[in-house]
Amino acid sequence: MTANNYKNNLNKFQSLIALIILCIVLSLLSNKFFTASNGVNVLRQIAVNICVATGMTMIVLTAGIDLSVGSVLALCGAITAGLLKNGWQFPTLDLFVGFTLLGAILCAIIIGAFLGFFNGLVITKFKVPPFVATLAMLTIARGFTMLYTEGHPISNLGTSFAFIGAGSFIGIPIPVWIATVVVLIAVFITKKTKLGRYIYAIGGNENAAKLSGISINRVKLIVYSLGATLAAIGGIIVTSRLDSAQPNAGISYELDAIAAVVIGGTSLNGGRGSIWGTVIGAIIIGVLNNGLVLLNVSPFWQQVVKGAVILLAVIIDKIGDKKE
Amino acid sequence: MKKLIKYIIYLLILLIVGYNSVYFKKLSDINKLSTEKFNAALFSKILWEEKMPQKVDSSIDFSQLKQAVNNNEADALKKHTNAMGIGNYRYALIKTKATVLSVYEDEVTIQLPGSDTATIATEYIYGNAIRDASELVAISDFPNTTELNSISEELNKIVRTYVLTSFKKMVKKGQTLTIIGAVELNKAHIKWNGLELLPVRIQIVN
Repeated sequence: MTANNYKNNLNKFQSLIALIILCIVLSLLSNKFFTASNGVNVLRQIAVNICVATGMTMIVLTAGIDLSVGSVLALCGAITAGLLKNGWQFPTLDLFVGFTLLGAILCAIIIGAFLGFFNGLVITKFKVPPFVATLAMLTIARGFTMLYTEGHPISNLGTSFAFIGAGSFIGIPIPVWIATVVVLIAVFITKKTKLGRYIYAIGGNENAAKLSGISINRVKLIVYSLGATLAAIGGIIVTSRLDSAQPNAGISYELDAIAAVVIGGTSLNGGRGSIWGTVIGAIIIGVLNNGLVLLNVSPFWQQVVKGAVILLAVIIDKIGDKKE
Repeated sequence: MKKLIKYIIYLLILLIVGYNSVYFKKLSDINKLSTEKFNAALFSKILWEEKMPQKVDSSIDFSQLKQAVNNNEADALKKHTNAMGIGNYRYALIKTKATVLSVYEDEVTIQLPGSDTATIATEYIYGNAIRDASELVAISDFPNTTELNSISEELNKIVRTYVLTSFKKMVKKGQTLTIIGAVELNKAHIKWNGLELLPVRIQIVN
Protein backbone atom coordinates (compact mmCIF):
# COMPACT_ATOMS: atom_id res chain seq x y z
CA MET A 1 0.00 0.00 0.00
CA THR A 2 1.45 3.36 -1.03
CA ALA A 3 1.55 6.34 1.32
CA ASN A 4 -1.16 8.03 -0.81
CA ASN A 5 -3.47 5.02 -0.59
CA TYR A 6 -2.89 4.88 3.14
CA LYS A 7 -3.79 8.58 3.46
CA ASN A 8 -6.90 8.16 1.30
CA ASN A 9 -8.13 5.27 3.41
CA LEU A 10 -7.42 7.22 6.59
CA ASN A 11 -9.47 10.16 5.24
CA LYS A 12 -12.28 7.85 4.13
CA PHE A 13 -12.58 6.12 7.46
CA GLN A 14 -11.72 9.03 9.77
CA SER A 15 -15.28 9.16 11.27
CA LEU A 16 -15.29 5.42 11.89
CA ILE A 17 -11.83 5.58 13.48
CA ALA A 18 -12.99 8.47 15.69
CA LEU A 19 -16.05 6.43 16.74
CA ILE A 20 -13.92 3.38 17.63
CA ILE A 21 -11.48 5.52 19.65
CA LEU A 22 -14.42 7.20 21.42
CA CYS A 23 -15.96 3.83 22.29
CA ILE A 24 -12.63 2.48 23.61
CA VAL A 25 -12.06 5.57 25.77
CA LEU A 26 -15.61 5.51 27.18
CA SER A 27 -15.41 1.76 27.86
CA LEU A 28 -12.25 2.37 29.91
CA LEU A 29 -13.81 5.28 31.79
CA SER A 30 -17.20 3.71 32.55
CA ASN A 31 -18.00 0.04 33.09
CA LYS A 32 -21.66 0.73 32.24
CA PHE A 33 -20.85 1.92 28.71
CA PHE A 34 -19.98 -1.28 26.88
CA THR A 35 -23.12 -3.25 27.73
CA ALA A 36 -25.84 -4.59 25.44
CA SER A 37 -28.60 -2.63 27.18
CA ASN A 38 -26.66 0.63 26.89
CA GLY A 39 -25.97 -0.09 23.22
CA VAL A 40 -29.68 -0.60 22.55
CA ASN A 41 -30.40 2.56 24.53
CA VAL A 42 -27.99 4.62 22.40
CA LEU A 43 -29.46 3.19 19.18
CA ARG A 44 -32.99 4.00 20.33
CA GLN A 45 -31.97 7.57 21.12
CA ILE A 46 -30.26 8.20 17.79
CA ALA A 47 -32.86 6.52 15.55
CA VAL A 48 -34.80 9.75 14.98
CA ASN A 49 -31.64 11.74 14.30
CA ILE A 50 -30.53 9.10 11.78
CA CYS A 51 -33.84 9.42 9.89
CA VAL A 52 -33.66 13.23 9.83
CA ALA A 53 -29.92 13.34 9.12
CA THR A 54 -30.28 10.87 6.22
CA GLY A 55 -32.60 13.32 4.46
CA MET A 56 -30.30 16.20 5.41
CA THR A 57 -27.33 14.36 3.84
CA MET A 58 -29.02 14.19 0.45
CA ILE A 59 -29.85 17.91 0.70
CA VAL A 60 -26.29 18.87 1.80
CA LEU A 61 -24.87 16.71 -1.03
CA THR A 62 -26.61 19.09 -3.46
CA ALA A 63 -24.90 21.99 -1.58
CA GLY A 64 -28.19 22.89 0.08
CA ILE A 65 -29.41 22.96 3.66
CA ASP A 66 -32.77 22.47 5.37
CA LEU A 67 -33.28 24.28 8.66
CA SER A 68 -36.98 23.45 8.81
CA VAL A 69 -36.74 19.72 9.56
CA GLY A 70 -37.27 20.16 13.33
CA SER A 71 -40.46 22.16 12.82
CA VAL A 72 -41.70 19.84 10.06
CA LEU A 73 -41.06 16.94 12.43
CA ALA A 74 -43.18 18.64 15.13
CA LEU A 75 -46.01 19.52 12.72
CA CYS A 76 -46.19 16.04 11.21
CA GLY A 77 -46.11 14.44 14.67
CA ALA A 78 -48.93 16.73 15.78
CA ILE A 79 -50.95 15.95 12.64
CA THR A 80 -50.59 12.20 13.21
CA ALA A 81 -51.72 12.59 16.83
CA GLY A 82 -54.52 15.01 15.98
CA LEU A 83 -55.94 12.82 13.20
CA LEU A 84 -55.77 9.70 15.36
CA LYS A 85 -57.43 11.44 18.26
CA ASN A 86 -59.88 13.90 16.71
CA GLY A 87 -60.16 13.05 12.99
CA TRP A 88 -61.61 15.66 10.64
CA GLN A 89 -64.93 17.28 11.45
CA PHE A 90 -67.27 18.88 8.89
CA PRO A 91 -70.14 20.45 10.90
CA THR A 92 -72.07 21.70 7.86
CA LEU A 93 -72.18 18.18 6.40
CA ASP A 94 -72.69 16.56 9.83
CA LEU A 95 -69.69 14.40 8.91
CA PHE A 96 -66.88 13.01 11.01
CA VAL A 97 -63.92 11.49 9.15
CA GLY A 98 -61.96 9.23 11.50
CA PHE A 99 -58.44 8.05 10.71
CA THR A 100 -56.94 4.65 11.28
CA LEU A 101 -53.28 4.34 12.26
CA LEU A 102 -52.35 3.80 8.60
CA GLY A 103 -54.41 6.80 7.49
CA ALA A 104 -52.95 9.17 10.08
CA ILE A 105 -49.38 8.12 9.30
CA LEU A 106 -49.89 8.41 5.53
CA CYS A 107 -51.45 11.87 5.93
CA ALA A 108 -48.52 13.09 8.04
CA ILE A 109 -45.99 11.74 5.55
CA ILE A 110 -47.82 13.33 2.60
CA ILE A 111 -47.97 16.70 4.41
CA GLY A 112 -44.25 16.40 5.28
CA ALA A 113 -43.42 15.69 1.63
CA PHE A 114 -45.54 18.66 0.53
CA LEU A 115 -43.71 21.02 2.94
CA GLY A 116 -40.37 19.81 1.55
CA PHE A 117 -41.69 20.21 -1.98
CA PHE A 118 -42.71 23.78 -1.12
CA ASN A 119 -39.18 24.45 0.19
CA GLY A 120 -37.75 23.07 -3.05
CA LEU A 121 -40.15 25.18 -5.11
CA VAL A 122 -39.15 28.40 -3.34
CA ILE A 123 -35.46 27.54 -3.73
CA THR A 124 -35.59 26.53 -7.40
CA LYS A 125 -38.28 28.82 -8.88
CA PHE A 126 -37.64 31.98 -6.88
CA LYS A 127 -33.90 31.42 -6.42
CA VAL A 128 -34.17 32.04 -2.67
CA PRO A 129 -31.05 30.72 -0.89
CA PRO A 130 -31.85 27.40 0.88
CA PHE A 131 -30.78 28.85 4.22
CA VAL A 132 -33.39 31.63 4.00
CA ALA A 133 -36.19 29.59 2.41
CA THR A 134 -35.97 26.80 4.99
CA LEU A 135 -35.52 29.29 7.84
CA ALA A 136 -38.86 30.77 6.81
CA MET A 137 -40.40 27.29 6.71
CA LEU A 138 -38.97 26.64 10.19
CA THR A 139 -41.11 29.47 11.55
CA ILE A 140 -44.15 28.71 9.39
CA ALA A 141 -44.26 25.03 10.33
CA ARG A 142 -43.74 25.81 14.03
CA GLY A 143 -46.56 28.35 13.85
CA PHE A 144 -48.88 25.81 12.21
CA THR A 145 -47.96 23.30 14.91
CA MET A 146 -48.94 25.80 17.60
CA LEU A 147 -52.18 26.62 15.75
CA TYR A 148 -53.07 22.97 15.23
CA THR A 149 -52.34 21.91 18.82
CA GLU A 150 -53.47 25.24 20.35
CA GLY A 151 -50.22 25.09 22.28
CA HIS A 152 -51.24 21.93 24.18
CA PRO A 153 -49.87 18.40 23.88
CA ILE A 154 -52.11 15.78 22.26
CA SER A 155 -51.75 12.64 24.39
CA ASN A 156 -53.01 9.07 24.89
CA LEU A 157 -52.83 7.91 21.32
CA GLY A 158 -53.37 4.21 21.90
CA THR A 159 -51.14 1.20 22.38
CA SER A 160 -50.83 0.25 18.71
CA PHE A 161 -49.45 3.70 17.89
CA ALA A 162 -47.19 3.65 20.98
CA PHE A 163 -45.67 0.37 19.69
CA ILE A 164 -43.94 2.28 16.87
CA GLY A 165 -41.84 4.26 19.33
CA ALA A 166 -41.73 2.03 22.39
CA GLY A 167 -42.01 -1.49 21.00
CA SER A 168 -39.24 -3.82 19.91
CA PHE A 169 -38.72 -6.77 17.56
CA ILE A 170 -36.20 -9.50 18.46
CA GLY A 171 -34.83 -7.24 21.18
CA ILE A 172 -34.18 -4.28 18.90
CA PRO A 173 -36.41 -1.21 19.24
CA ILE A 174 -38.81 -0.53 16.36
CA PRO A 175 -37.36 3.00 15.76
CA VAL A 176 -33.99 1.34 15.08
CA TRP A 177 -35.61 -0.96 12.49
CA ILE A 178 -37.27 2.04 10.86
CA ALA A 179 -33.97 3.97 10.80
CA THR A 180 -32.24 0.91 9.29
CA VAL A 181 -34.79 0.66 6.46
CA VAL A 182 -34.54 4.42 5.84
CA VAL A 183 -30.73 4.23 5.66
CA LEU A 184 -30.73 1.22 3.33
CA ILE A 185 -33.18 2.90 0.94
CA ALA A 186 -31.14 6.14 1.04
CA VAL A 187 -27.90 4.24 0.38
CA PHE A 188 -29.57 2.51 -2.55
CA ILE A 189 -30.82 5.83 -3.94
CA THR A 190 -27.47 7.62 -3.60
CA LYS A 191 -25.28 4.75 -4.82
CA LYS A 192 -27.35 2.79 -7.30
CA THR A 193 -29.77 5.15 -9.01
CA LYS A 194 -29.61 7.96 -11.56
CA LEU A 195 -31.05 10.33 -8.95
CA GLY A 196 -28.14 9.54 -6.64
CA ARG A 197 -25.58 10.32 -9.35
CA TYR A 198 -27.41 13.56 -10.17
CA ILE A 199 -27.36 14.57 -6.47
CA TYR A 200 -23.56 14.20 -6.35
CA ALA A 201 -23.17 15.90 -9.72
CA ILE A 202 -25.22 18.94 -8.69
CA GLY A 203 -23.29 19.29 -5.43
CA GLY A 204 -19.94 18.85 -7.19
CA ASN A 205 -20.55 21.46 -9.86
CA GLU A 206 -24.07 22.73 -10.51
CA ASN A 207 -23.21 24.49 -13.77
CA ALA A 208 -21.48 21.44 -15.20
CA ALA A 209 -24.44 19.29 -14.14
CA LYS A 210 -26.84 21.70 -15.85
CA LEU A 211 -24.78 21.72 -19.05
CA SER A 212 -24.73 17.94 -19.09
CA GLY A 213 -28.54 17.91 -19.20
CA ILE A 214 -29.48 17.20 -15.61
CA SER A 215 -32.75 18.84 -14.54
CA ILE A 216 -31.38 20.66 -11.49
CA ASN A 217 -34.77 21.94 -10.33
CA ARG A 218 -36.41 18.53 -10.52
CA VAL A 219 -33.63 16.85 -8.54
CA LYS A 220 -33.70 19.57 -5.88
CA LEU A 221 -37.50 19.32 -5.58
CA ILE A 222 -37.20 15.57 -5.04
CA VAL A 223 -34.35 15.93 -2.54
CA TYR A 224 -36.10 18.58 -0.39
CA SER A 225 -39.33 16.53 -0.49
CA LEU A 226 -37.41 13.42 0.62
CA GLY A 227 -35.70 15.36 3.43
CA ALA A 228 -39.02 16.60 4.82
CA THR A 229 -40.63 13.17 4.37
CA LEU A 230 -37.91 11.67 6.56
CA ALA A 231 -38.44 14.47 9.09
CA ALA A 232 -42.14 13.51 9.10
CA ILE A 233 -41.19 9.89 9.80
CA GLY A 234 -38.99 11.17 12.64
CA GLY A 235 -41.98 13.14 13.93
CA ILE A 236 -44.17 10.04 13.95
CA ILE A 237 -41.50 8.12 15.92
CA VAL A 238 -41.01 10.95 18.46
CA THR A 239 -44.78 11.33 18.98
CA SER A 240 -45.25 7.60 19.35
CA ARG A 241 -42.33 7.27 21.78
CA LEU A 242 -43.76 9.96 24.05
CA ASP A 243 -47.36 8.82 23.42
CA SER A 244 -47.94 12.54 22.99
CA ALA A 245 -47.46 15.23 20.34
CA GLN A 246 -45.66 18.15 21.95
CA PRO A 247 -45.94 21.54 20.25
CA ASN A 248 -42.29 22.17 21.16
CA ALA A 249 -41.01 18.86 19.78
CA GLY A 250 -38.04 18.85 17.43
CA ILE A 251 -36.50 22.15 18.53
CA SER A 252 -32.82 22.17 17.44
CA TYR A 253 -33.18 18.75 15.75
CA GLU A 254 -31.98 20.41 12.52
CA LEU A 255 -28.71 21.27 14.28
CA ASP A 256 -28.24 17.68 15.48
CA ALA A 257 -28.92 16.45 11.94
CA ILE A 258 -26.46 18.92 10.40
CA ALA A 259 -23.91 17.97 13.07
CA ALA A 260 -24.29 14.26 12.17
CA VAL A 261 -23.90 15.07 8.49
CA VAL A 262 -20.75 17.19 9.04
CA ILE A 263 -19.14 14.81 11.55
CA GLY A 264 -19.87 12.00 9.09
CA GLY A 265 -17.63 13.70 6.54
CA THR A 266 -20.18 15.18 4.14
CA SER A 267 -18.92 18.47 2.76
CA LEU A 268 -21.18 21.47 3.36
CA ASN A 269 -20.13 22.62 -0.13
CA GLY A 270 -21.86 19.54 -1.55
CA GLY A 271 -20.75 16.74 -3.84
CA ARG A 272 -18.77 14.79 -1.26
CA GLY A 273 -19.98 12.51 1.52
CA SER A 274 -22.14 9.47 2.15
CA ILE A 275 -25.16 8.21 4.04
CA TRP A 276 -22.99 5.71 5.95
CA GLY A 277 -20.78 8.60 7.06
CA THR A 278 -23.85 10.38 8.41
CA VAL A 279 -24.94 7.23 10.27
CA ILE A 280 -21.51 7.12 11.91
CA GLY A 281 -21.77 10.86 12.64
CA ALA A 282 -25.14 10.33 14.34
CA ILE A 283 -23.72 7.40 16.34
CA ILE A 284 -20.75 9.56 17.41
CA ILE A 285 -23.13 12.27 18.69
CA GLY A 286 -25.30 9.64 20.44
CA VAL A 287 -22.31 7.86 21.99
CA LEU A 288 -20.81 11.17 23.07
CA ASN A 289 -24.09 12.26 24.72
CA ASN A 290 -24.48 8.88 26.39
CA GLY A 291 -20.85 8.70 27.54
CA LEU A 292 -20.89 12.19 29.01
CA VAL A 293 -24.07 11.35 30.95
CA LEU A 294 -22.54 8.10 32.24
CA LEU A 295 -19.44 10.02 33.33
CA ASN A 296 -21.65 12.50 35.20
CA VAL A 297 -20.34 15.42 33.16
CA SER A 298 -22.39 18.58 33.73
CA PRO A 299 -24.99 19.21 30.96
CA PHE A 300 -23.37 22.61 30.36
CA TRP A 301 -20.01 20.99 29.64
CA GLN A 302 -21.76 18.43 27.43
CA GLN A 303 -22.88 21.26 25.13
CA VAL A 304 -19.35 22.67 25.03
CA VAL A 305 -17.87 19.25 24.15
CA LYS A 306 -20.50 18.62 21.46
CA GLY A 307 -19.84 22.02 19.90
CA ALA A 308 -16.09 21.45 19.97
CA VAL A 309 -16.48 18.07 18.21
CA ILE A 310 -18.61 19.66 15.47
CA LEU A 311 -16.06 22.46 15.06
CA LEU A 312 -13.24 19.95 14.81
CA ALA A 313 -15.15 17.97 12.17
CA VAL A 314 -15.73 21.11 10.07
CA ILE A 315 -12.04 22.11 10.34
CA ILE A 316 -10.97 18.62 9.21
CA ASP A 317 -13.50 18.88 6.36
CA LYS A 318 -12.09 22.27 5.31
CA ILE A 319 -8.52 20.93 5.38
CA GLY A 320 -9.71 18.03 3.21
CA ASP A 321 -11.36 20.47 0.76
CA LYS A 322 -8.17 22.54 0.49
CA LYS A 323 -6.02 19.48 -0.21
CA GLU A 324 -8.40 18.36 -2.97
CA MET B 1 -53.88 -1.38 -23.03
CA LYS B 2 -50.81 -1.83 -20.83
CA LYS B 3 -51.23 1.73 -19.56
CA LEU B 4 -54.88 1.11 -18.75
CA ILE B 5 -54.00 -1.97 -16.68
CA LYS B 6 -51.32 0.04 -14.89
CA TYR B 7 -53.80 2.79 -14.01
CA ILE B 8 -56.40 0.25 -12.86
CA ILE B 9 -53.80 -1.35 -10.56
CA TYR B 10 -52.86 2.08 -9.15
CA LEU B 11 -56.52 2.91 -8.60
CA LEU B 12 -57.10 -0.42 -6.83
CA ILE B 13 -54.10 0.16 -4.53
CA LEU B 14 -55.37 3.67 -3.79
CA LEU B 15 -58.84 2.35 -2.99
CA ILE B 16 -57.50 -0.39 -0.70
CA VAL B 17 -55.23 2.06 1.15
CA GLY B 18 -58.04 4.63 1.36
CA TYR B 19 -60.54 2.06 2.64
CA ASN B 20 -58.08 1.04 5.37
CA SER B 21 -57.17 4.63 6.25
CA VAL B 22 -60.42 6.44 6.96
CA TYR B 23 -63.92 5.78 8.27
CA PHE B 24 -67.01 7.96 8.32
CA LYS B 25 -69.52 8.69 11.04
CA LYS B 26 -72.22 11.24 11.73
CA LEU B 27 -70.69 14.19 13.56
CA SER B 28 -73.86 14.63 15.63
CA ASP B 29 -73.47 11.07 16.97
CA ILE B 30 -69.85 11.74 17.96
CA ASN B 31 -70.76 15.05 19.62
CA LYS B 32 -73.66 13.42 21.46
CA LEU B 33 -71.28 10.91 23.02
CA SER B 34 -68.78 13.58 24.06
CA THR B 35 -71.35 15.98 25.51
CA GLU B 36 -72.77 13.43 27.90
CA LYS B 37 -70.84 15.12 30.68
CA PHE B 38 -68.64 12.95 32.80
CA ASN B 39 -69.16 13.45 36.51
CA ALA B 40 -65.67 12.77 37.86
CA ALA B 41 -66.59 13.55 41.48
CA LEU B 42 -69.44 11.04 41.56
CA PHE B 43 -67.48 8.44 39.61
CA SER B 44 -64.48 8.74 41.98
CA LYS B 45 -66.71 8.65 45.07
CA ILE B 46 -68.22 5.36 43.88
CA LEU B 47 -64.75 3.99 43.12
CA TRP B 48 -63.50 5.03 46.56
CA GLU B 49 -66.44 3.58 48.46
CA GLU B 50 -67.17 0.44 46.48
CA LYS B 51 -63.95 -0.68 44.84
CA MET B 52 -61.10 0.78 46.88
CA PRO B 53 -61.74 -1.43 49.96
CA GLN B 54 -61.01 -4.57 47.89
CA LYS B 55 -57.87 -3.00 46.50
CA VAL B 56 -56.74 -2.01 49.98
CA ASP B 57 -57.21 -5.62 51.12
CA SER B 58 -55.08 -6.92 48.28
CA SER B 59 -52.25 -4.39 48.71
CA ILE B 60 -48.79 -5.88 49.08
CA ASP B 61 -46.65 -5.62 52.19
CA PHE B 62 -43.71 -3.23 51.67
CA SER B 63 -41.08 -5.78 52.75
CA GLN B 64 -42.62 -8.45 50.51
CA LEU B 65 -42.58 -6.11 47.52
CA LYS B 66 -38.96 -5.22 48.19
CA GLN B 67 -38.04 -8.91 48.46
CA ALA B 68 -39.95 -9.80 45.31
CA VAL B 69 -38.27 -7.01 43.32
CA ASN B 70 -34.85 -8.08 44.59
CA ASN B 71 -35.56 -11.68 43.52
CA ASN B 72 -37.02 -11.02 40.09
CA GLU B 73 -37.52 -7.35 39.26
CA ALA B 74 -39.37 -7.68 35.97
CA ASP B 75 -41.74 -10.31 37.32
CA ALA B 76 -42.42 -8.46 40.58
CA LEU B 77 -43.07 -5.14 38.85
CA LYS B 78 -45.44 -6.82 36.42
CA LYS B 79 -47.31 -8.60 39.19
CA HIS B 80 -47.44 -5.98 41.95
CA THR B 81 -47.27 -2.61 40.20
CA ASN B 82 -49.26 -0.80 37.54
CA ALA B 83 -48.69 1.94 34.98
CA MET B 84 -51.20 3.55 32.65
CA GLY B 85 -48.72 5.39 30.50
CA ILE B 86 -45.49 4.39 28.83
CA GLY B 87 -42.19 5.17 30.54
CA ASN B 88 -40.24 4.02 33.55
CA TYR B 89 -42.66 4.93 36.32
CA ARG B 90 -44.71 2.17 37.97
CA TYR B 91 -47.10 2.52 40.87
CA ALA B 92 -47.75 0.12 43.74
CA LEU B 93 -50.27 0.02 46.54
CA ILE B 94 -48.32 -1.05 49.61
CA LYS B 95 -49.13 -1.69 53.27
CA THR B 96 -46.66 -1.30 56.08
CA LYS B 97 -46.08 -0.50 59.72
CA ALA B 98 -44.02 2.59 60.41
CA THR B 99 -42.77 4.85 63.17
CA VAL B 100 -43.12 8.61 62.93
CA LEU B 101 -39.67 10.25 62.90
CA SER B 102 -40.70 13.87 62.42
CA VAL B 103 -43.77 15.92 61.63
CA TYR B 104 -43.58 18.87 59.27
CA GLU B 105 -46.18 21.26 57.93
CA ASP B 106 -46.56 19.44 54.62
CA GLU B 107 -45.17 15.96 55.27
CA VAL B 108 -44.43 13.35 57.91
CA THR B 109 -41.18 11.40 57.87
CA ILE B 110 -41.51 7.74 58.85
CA GLN B 111 -39.21 4.81 59.55
CA LEU B 112 -40.20 1.74 57.55
CA PRO B 113 -39.34 -1.83 58.59
CA GLY B 114 -35.59 -2.25 58.05
CA SER B 115 -33.43 0.79 57.51
CA ASP B 116 -35.56 2.65 54.94
CA THR B 117 -37.31 5.92 55.61
CA ALA B 118 -40.20 7.44 53.68
CA THR B 119 -42.34 10.54 53.69
CA ILE B 120 -46.09 10.71 53.87
CA ALA B 121 -47.35 13.66 51.87
CA THR B 122 -49.92 15.46 54.00
CA GLU B 123 -50.47 18.66 52.06
CA TYR B 124 -49.58 18.31 48.39
CA ILE B 125 -51.42 15.28 47.04
CA TYR B 126 -50.98 15.52 43.30
CA GLY B 127 -50.37 13.25 40.33
CA ASN B 128 -51.80 9.91 39.29
CA ALA B 129 -50.11 7.64 41.85
CA ILE B 130 -53.29 6.73 43.77
CA ARG B 131 -55.36 6.17 40.61
CA ASP B 132 -52.66 4.10 38.92
CA ALA B 133 -51.50 2.12 41.95
CA SER B 134 -55.05 1.10 42.82
CA GLU B 135 -55.73 -0.13 39.26
CA LEU B 136 -59.28 1.12 39.63
CA VAL B 137 -59.64 2.39 36.07
CA ALA B 138 -58.60 1.22 32.61
CA ILE B 139 -57.32 3.70 30.07
CA SER B 140 -59.48 2.19 27.33
CA ASP B 141 -62.66 3.07 29.24
CA PHE B 142 -62.14 6.80 28.72
CA PRO B 143 -62.31 8.74 25.48
CA ASN B 144 -59.90 11.46 26.58
CA THR B 145 -57.12 12.34 29.01
CA THR B 146 -59.13 15.09 30.67
CA GLU B 147 -61.64 12.62 32.08
CA LEU B 148 -58.92 10.24 33.15
CA ASN B 149 -56.97 12.98 34.91
CA SER B 150 -60.08 14.35 36.56
CA ILE B 151 -60.45 10.98 38.33
CA SER B 152 -56.95 11.45 39.80
CA GLU B 153 -57.86 14.95 40.93
CA GLU B 154 -61.01 13.71 42.66
CA LEU B 155 -59.28 10.73 44.30
CA ASN B 156 -56.54 13.07 45.57
CA LYS B 157 -59.23 15.41 46.88
CA ILE B 158 -60.90 12.52 48.76
CA VAL B 159 -57.55 11.59 50.34
CA ARG B 160 -56.91 15.19 51.41
CA THR B 161 -60.39 15.51 52.90
CA TYR B 162 -61.14 12.13 54.45
CA VAL B 163 -57.76 10.57 55.15
CA LEU B 164 -55.41 13.40 55.98
CA THR B 165 -57.52 15.99 57.80
CA SER B 166 -57.87 13.97 61.02
CA PHE B 167 -54.42 12.37 60.68
CA LYS B 168 -52.67 15.76 60.51
CA LYS B 169 -54.38 16.83 63.74
CA MET B 170 -53.36 13.70 65.68
CA VAL B 171 -49.96 12.65 64.36
CA LYS B 172 -46.98 13.05 66.71
CA LYS B 173 -43.33 12.04 66.67
CA GLY B 174 -42.70 8.49 67.93
CA GLN B 175 -46.17 7.14 67.13
CA THR B 176 -46.58 3.78 65.41
CA LEU B 177 -48.73 3.75 62.28
CA THR B 178 -50.22 1.22 59.92
CA ILE B 179 -50.42 2.67 56.46
CA ILE B 180 -51.71 1.65 53.08
CA GLY B 181 -50.67 3.97 50.31
CA ALA B 182 -49.44 4.47 46.79
CA VAL B 183 -45.76 4.71 45.92
CA GLU B 184 -44.04 5.56 42.66
CA LEU B 185 -41.12 3.39 41.51
CA ASN B 186 -38.78 4.32 38.70
CA LYS B 187 -37.97 0.94 37.18
CA ALA B 188 -34.70 2.31 35.78
CA HIS B 189 -33.41 3.17 39.28
CA ILE B 190 -35.49 1.61 42.04
CA LYS B 191 -34.73 3.28 45.36
CA TRP B 192 -36.47 2.05 48.49
CA ASN B 193 -35.10 4.71 50.79
CA GLY B 194 -36.83 8.11 50.60
CA LEU B 195 -40.05 6.94 48.91
CA GLU B 196 -43.02 9.29 48.96
CA LEU B 197 -46.18 7.62 50.17
CA LEU B 198 -49.60 8.94 49.19
CA PRO B 199 -51.87 7.45 51.87
CA VAL B 200 -55.16 5.72 51.22
CA ARG B 201 -55.64 4.46 54.80
CA ILE B 202 -53.71 5.51 57.92
CA GLN B 203 -54.24 4.28 61.43
CA ILE B 204 -52.36 5.52 64.48
CA VAL B 205 -51.71 2.37 66.52
CA ASN B 206 -50.24 3.99 69.63
